[in-house]
Amino acid sequence: MSKAILIDTTRCTACRGCQVGCKQWHNLPANRTYQMGTHQNPPDLNPFNFKLVRFNEHEQKDGTVVWNFFPDQCRHCVTPICKDVADMAVPGAIIQQPETGIVLFTEKTALLSPEDVKAVTDACPYNIPRYNPQTRLLVKCDMCVDRVNAGLPPICVQTCPTGCMVFGNREEILDLARKRLDYARQRHPKAFLCDAEDVNVIFLLAEDKKYYYKYASFA
Amino acid sequence: MNCNRRDFLKLAGASAVCLTLGQLGFNLDEAFAYAGKLKIEGAKEFISICPFCAVCCQVIAYVKDGRLVSVEGDPDFPVNQGSLCAKGAGLMGMYTGKPRLMKPLYRAPYSDKWEEKDWDWTLDQIARRIKDDRDKNFVARNADGKTVNRLENIFMMGTSHASNEECALMHQALRSLGIVYMDHQART
Repeated sequence: MSKAILIDTTRCTACRGCQVGCKQWHNLPANRTYQMGTHQNPPDLNPFNFKLVRFNEHEQKDGTVVWNFFPDQCRHCVTPICKDVADMAVPGAIIQQPETGIVLFTEKTALLSPEDVKAVTDACPYNIPRYNPQTRLLVKCDMCVDRVNAGLPPICVQTCPTGCMVFGNREEILDLARKRLDYARQRHPKAFLCDAEDVNVIFLLAEDKKYYYKYASFA
Repeated sequence: MNCNRRDFLKLAGASAVCLTLGQLGFNLDEAFAYAGKLKIEGAKEFISICPFCAVCCQVIAYVKDGRLVSVEGDPDFPVNQGSLCAKGAGLMGMYTGKPRLMKPLYRAPYSDKWEEKDWDWTLDQIARRIKDDRDKNFVARNADGKTVNRLENIFMMGTSHASNEECALMHQALRSLGIVYMDHQART
């Protein structure tokens, strides 16, 4: 049974608990950060941040400002394109766990040539894989596969204090996603689910993806 | 082979899965080898409280070989139900972070250096100074000659983590000294 996560961004307060929890669970080192004029920090996903809350603000016609939060991470596609691309160069560099559908970048990604790395990175419709020049590994979110296999939810879902993120079996999560979509549409008529049929990390956005992040949704 | 119905179903299910995946040519070993290492496996669990704000979220601290390996929210605690905010989620950093103080530091008047001191010396110093200050500045009567018995030179900063009972005890101790200025940090 495939596992899935629903991320209902209408409930996200951008506390960044998920981002910090992820960093802690994966023992990732700190980044040197700077005042960039935004709360989005670090400015982009990098080899030490598999999860990043993106901030986007825009002004509406009536002059009010909407501030949208997008907790970005790997979508764990049902049919991962990155895996297809990597398999052509180094089989086993990117694998998908059959039971859970989790897409994993293994140590074998170090065997990918710079061209292969670029091909994999460019193939991802969500701009997720990041290259670590020190270890020569391609890295991204692993949906805490160690925790999931031990019966625990991923650390980002466990940490989320607003219930914006939910983890479970794919069928249940899809049901919940549709329910939450109906509810969200009462306030946000343009709300939609991002590529729900194709990915295992399903985002619910309140309005067009351009008000969140360029790569928020593929469709 | 001793096998009840439940075991039989489990075995049947497992072999069916292995057969189909094997036939499809999946290499199961790789995925399992990668997923095999859970860092909190075999760790001892200790319940603790996040020290940051007044919500007092409960956390589980995982300790392995005498070292803290992970901290996460306690799903059984009704207040946070396993969740934490960014500050609580970063609790490990308080343990591993370099600026963490391990001993009391003391800077003498007019000195520009911090010295490491032990707790006995520090507590004695605090007690000594409170006593001296109180002896010197205690206000028994105000300008009108009324008995007030107060000490206006000391301010007490408490904590939002203190329970009702702890607050009552602290309050009584401080009032007995005559301290009138008290507050708590409410949030970090």
